[in-house]
Amino acid sequence: MEGQSISISGSGRVSGGEYGQVRISGSGKVEGDVTAQEIRVSGSGRFQGEVKAKEITVSGAGKFTARVEADVLVTSGSCGIDGDAEVKELRSSGAQRIGGSFHGHYVRVSGVLHVARDLETDVFTSSGRFEIGGLLSADRVEVKLVGDSRAREIGGENIDIRASSGLSFGFSLARGFRLGIGTLTAGEIEGDHIHLEATTADVVRGKTVHIGPGCRIGRVEYMESLEVHPEAEVGERVKR
Amino acid sequence: MDEDLIAKKDVLEQTGISYGQLYRWKRKGLIPEAWFIRKATVTGQETFFPREKILTRIEQIRSLKEEQSLDELVHILAPESTPEMVKCDDPSLLAPVGTEGRRLMWKDRGYTFGELVALACGAHALRAGTRPAEAKLLVDLVRGAEEAVRDPTGITALLGEKSLDQEGFSVRLTVGVLGHEPVKLDRESRVKHRVDVEKVAEQVKLALREVA
Repeated sequence: MEGQSISISGSGRVSGGEYGQVRISGSGKVEGDVTAQEIRVSGSGRFQGEVKAKEITVSGAGKFTARVEADVLVTSGSCGIDGDAEVKELRSSGAQRIGGSFHGHYVRVSGVLHVARDLETDVFTSSGRFEIGGLLSADRVEVKLVGDSRAREIGGENIDIRASSGLSFGFSLARGFRLGIGTLTAGEIEGDHIHLEATTADVVRGKTVHIGPGCRIGRVEYMESLEVHPEAEVGERVKR
Repeated sequence: MDEDLIAKKDVLEQTGISYGQLYRWKRKGLIPEAWFIRKATVTGQETFFPREKILTRIEQIRSLKEEQSLDELVHILAPESTPEMVKCDDPSLLAPVGTEGRRLMWKDRGYTFGELVALACGAHALRAGTRPAEAKLLVDLVRGAEEAVRDPTGITALLGEKSLDQEGFSVRLTVGVLGHEPVKLDRESRVKHRVDVEKVAEQVKLALREVA
């Protein structure tokens, strides 16, 4: 991909096409499908059309009205994608919103992530807040709870949900809740090895299941082992 | 749907695969989204699968997994999940397409999976005796329907025919229709040829595997 580079630093609009670099530091609009090596939005950028890029960095406000494909997407500002996202590596310390579903390999959330449909990745780590309208699926789901997160369903191999560290015992935890340290709410959680804290779920199914403090689970189905912390509520326990 | 279903936990128990594997294979596209059927049961929501399809697929994945990477497996077992990644240079080698099928849409090389399925639908009609011009209607229709190729469960492509008789002359019109079953035509039209796109896609997949 050679392509020329464009830079919008005032206010401007360009049409889609193939570019090397696209930099928007003012207010810019790109109309039509774009393929680029690198896209950097530090002002306000609006992309109308499909976007394919090696690397996308949004530190200002980025708005994508259709599908986005990228190797790397880094958001430290606010980034909205109305369509689906096929992104190998997503790092969001800002606010990332995806109107469709997300497919990739690595997701790291330290800000806020909203996905309207499914989020599928090999690794999902979060120390921020997330809301997944559909299934959150990953080999490794590692969450340090901050604020209230939700997912309709979570599925994978290792699922590890921790209340914020240092506060996971006794009194301090209970107080932590009152202060709103963080919770997770999900309909269904399925995995081979599951460790939950401060989580509310209808059903949890797994091979080895650990239900930690602050959990409220309607029903746990496990195959090998189940441990339940005294400060957790579990409705039904079923061994299969 | 009166297909025989199996609950997810029974799949895991019978095959011995783990949740991790199941979710991983789904993510890779080896197990199509459409096979995950959610149902309300006494104990809440549960997921079911079409029994035969899921058990066969898991068996295939396991027997091929030794030699191939998961990504290669996707091209072999589930080309529909990455239709544009599949390229076939000579579709006349594939039994469901054949030389007559290839003629319906000529390219030098590099037919995608979607195009192969479209050609196979056309060839299916040709072999039942429809004219090439009519078969081409099906090819165009299916080729333009990427979603239907990705997820062909319950999709039918058909040729409908309607005759208009008026004052001594009669005209017969053929139209192509693509849709989810049940597909209905008005009472004056008749179905000239019906293609089950899922079956044809399956045949193309098998043929691709044989050629490879």
